[in-house]
Amino acid sequence: MNLATSDERQLGFTLIELLVALGIFLVITGAAFTLLSTSQHGYQTESLVLTSFQEARLGLDQMVRDINDAGFPPPAFAGTDPTKFAITPFAWSTGAGYSGTPCQIGTAGGGTCTTASVTNSPGDLDLIIETNPNIQDPLSKVQWIRYQLVGTTLMRGVADKAGGGTDPDAVTTAAGVLVPFVQNVVNNACPPQIPNCQTAYPGIFPGGAPVPIFSYACDNSSPPPATVPCLGPGADNSPTNIRDVMITLVVAAPLADATTGVPRLVQLNGRGRRINPNQ
Amino acid sequence: MKTGRQIRTKRTEEGIALLISIFILLLISVVAIALIVSSGTETALAGNYRASTGVYYAGLSGLEETRARLLSKNPDAFNTTDPSTFLPPPGTALNMGDTYYLINPIGGQAITPWDSASTYPDSQFGAEFGLSSGFFSPTNPSPTALSVWNRNPLQPLGIPGPLYKWVRINAVSEKSLGIDVDADGLPDSTTPLYFDGAHFSNSSSAGPQVLEVTSFATLPNGSQKIVQYLVAPTPLNLTFNAALTMDGNNVLFTVPNTTNFWVRGNDQFSVGSCNPGPGVVDAVGYTNSSDSSQSNILSAIQTGPPSNKNRQGNYTNGVAPNPDVSYETLSPNLQTVAGLNTLVQTITQNADVVINGNATQSSMPSGMSPTSPMTIVVNGDLTFNGWHNTGYGLLLVTGTFTFDPDATWNGIVLVIGKGVLYSHQSGSGQFNGAVFLASTLDSSGNPLPPASAPGSPNFDFTSSSGSNGIYYSSCWIQASMPGMSYKVLSFHEIAQ
Repeated sequence: MNLATSDERQLGFTLIELLVALGIFLVITGAAFTLLSTSQHGYQTESLVLTSFQEARLGLDQMVRDINDAGFPPPAFAGTDPTKFAITPFAWSTGAGYSGTPCQIGTAGGGTCTTASVTNSPGDLDLIIETNPNIQDPLSKVQWIRYQLVGTTLMRGVADKAGGGTDPDAVTTAAGVLVPFVQNVVNNACPPQIPNCQTAYPGIFPGGAPVPIFSYACDNSSPPPATVPCLGPGADNSPTNIRDVMITLVVAAPLADATTGVPRLVQLNGRGRRINPNQ
Repeated sequence: MKTGRQIRTKRTEEGIALLISIFILLLISVVAIALIVSSGTETALAGNYRASTGVYYAGLSGLEETRARLLSKNPDAFNTTDPSTFLPPPGTALNMGDTYYLINPIGGQAITPWDSASTYPDSQFGAEFGLSSGFFSPTNPSPTALSVWNRNPLQPLGIPGPLYKWVRINAVSEKSLGIDVDADGLPDSTTPLYFDGAHFSNSSSAGPQVLEVTSFATLPNGSQKIVQYLVAPTPLNLTFNAALTMDGNNVLFTVPNTTNFWVRGNDQFSVGSCNPGPGVVDAVGYTNSSDSSQSNILSAIQTGPPSNKNRQGNYTNGVAPNPDVSYETLSPNLQTVAGLNTLVQTITQNADVVINGNATQSSMPSGMSPTSPMTIVVNGDLTFNGWHNTGYGLLLVTGTFTFDPDATWNGIVLVIGKGVLYSHQSGSGQFNGAVFLASTLDSSGNPLPPASAPGSPNFDFTSSSGSNGIYYSSCWIQASMPGMSYKVLSFHEIAQ
């Protein structure tokens, strides 16, 4: 009986035992929650990165398709109605000679192909594709499909091609034509907007310079046959001669990394190759 | 008592350990799942893009194989591998509605695209021709040819080829394409389309037939794509209005004063079943009538007296007054440096032999013969020295062509680039066909601007005895004209 009473008293914890157990529990729980919180932040950041990544992937795929089909159908199809065939795979402004005078493709903000717009098209951040993506519709017309970076939003606009020397720059920048296509494209915005992104991603922004979305390779008229970068002035450097368009999209997650504060960037590369013949 | 205390203590510790273990396990699981989900999504996104690109190139490979095998000189040409069972003989047009399939089965699978119940049916044909042209399904069964991946020598090697399943070849019309070719305002004609070199035409006399090539590719993951070409053969329509054409400004011209050196515009020499016609061309042609070209040529031809030294009669076509030295209007593509460069490119792309760098007669292929003329491109200087032989075909030299008239050339000789043809040795060889010179370089050897006219070509035959000269021959020209590839007239991806 005495023994039993003594056993019942010893079933409880002493204050010291309790404090030690509680202390250990709190330490472990605190560490666990800290880890969980970090993981959760990481997961949120990764989710945002993935969303941007997915948008950019879809956008890149669409751009590559459009460029592959550029210049369809060529004038050989039907040379009478200019809205039914592509006069050139990549359009440019009337003012710079859309009707035939070659112009210089814009690199590093230069170029002479578009006079009416802020950016040069074709240029580093701007491109107008001329194609008919839906030829089997008898009522379909050739379209001007424009990609233009405005701030950090890559816009896409589709408008029916108009005949009579109409300026594709004016048609595709009319109100309501360009709509947001890929958000948070920072090819041109990273250095001023996020000063530390060049430090964090020196490989993406070599020298801290903006990264062209579009860079071009042209057919070279001199033998041996070659496709060369469309650099420098010359007859080969013209939208009619563009053969390859290399696409580089740098997209940022809407929020910086929650732990480090570094902007999260993803760079995607693609290449569109025009197969339709020179016009 | 001691025993009871030990038991109680152990029980308490087991409980805490269990709780902590479960909690930590839960935590790790959450992190692990998050990581798996994250990387899984990323992989899936990248995979979709990869599949889309992969199936696109698989489709393109089908188009390119077909385009290559349509060309007769390809060793795997359809008219070589499947001479009587696949396409009609060369020169015979395809009928509207007839379908021909190149099939690429893998692992013995049956590919019957004309059967709508098959694994890979051709539903595109009906969409394209059904409503517009009344052909609701492909010919059942259609003639088929196996892909190169299912033929020797590739098949025994077991190389996994591209994943296109079939490629359809068929004719097209105004109606099927929905275009108005004859400018009557309606895309209504159901006759096959032809290509005149610049535009489509309903007339079979306009040029070769336009063929539609449609490729269907699918990947094991189910990604599918249909891509389509319109193609037409593009013969190299080189026409020569003179036995010797000097294209450019202020041409340089030196010829020997011997009796046996002739430049004749009369059509001569039979080749196979080809016989020379009654037509003539000029003996020597130049392309700038307002510079010193004409006077440079005429002053080089000895006139006498005495009369037995007069060589004007050696430059003749038997019709025009002698010497027959005339102004020529060339086709626009031969009037500019860019056009001439394009011609060089085109010939180079379709040549049998391309020699980069300087070459001699030892570089000439041994397979040349009257029945097998070849297209040979020398990207550099070519020097014949003591070559007692005959060449057959089209010879294009972009550097200086130094000719020893021990040799004879039957066919076309183009010297485009430096535009210099020298002959400082003696012999009795000759050119039978036509000779064309154009300089696309300036005097320093730099390329002239693409839009400018070519520079000064130099025809320099200064040997005392000379050769036998140049004799126009339409038959040798025709025999040596290279077969050009099927040009891609258009390309597009068909949305599905």
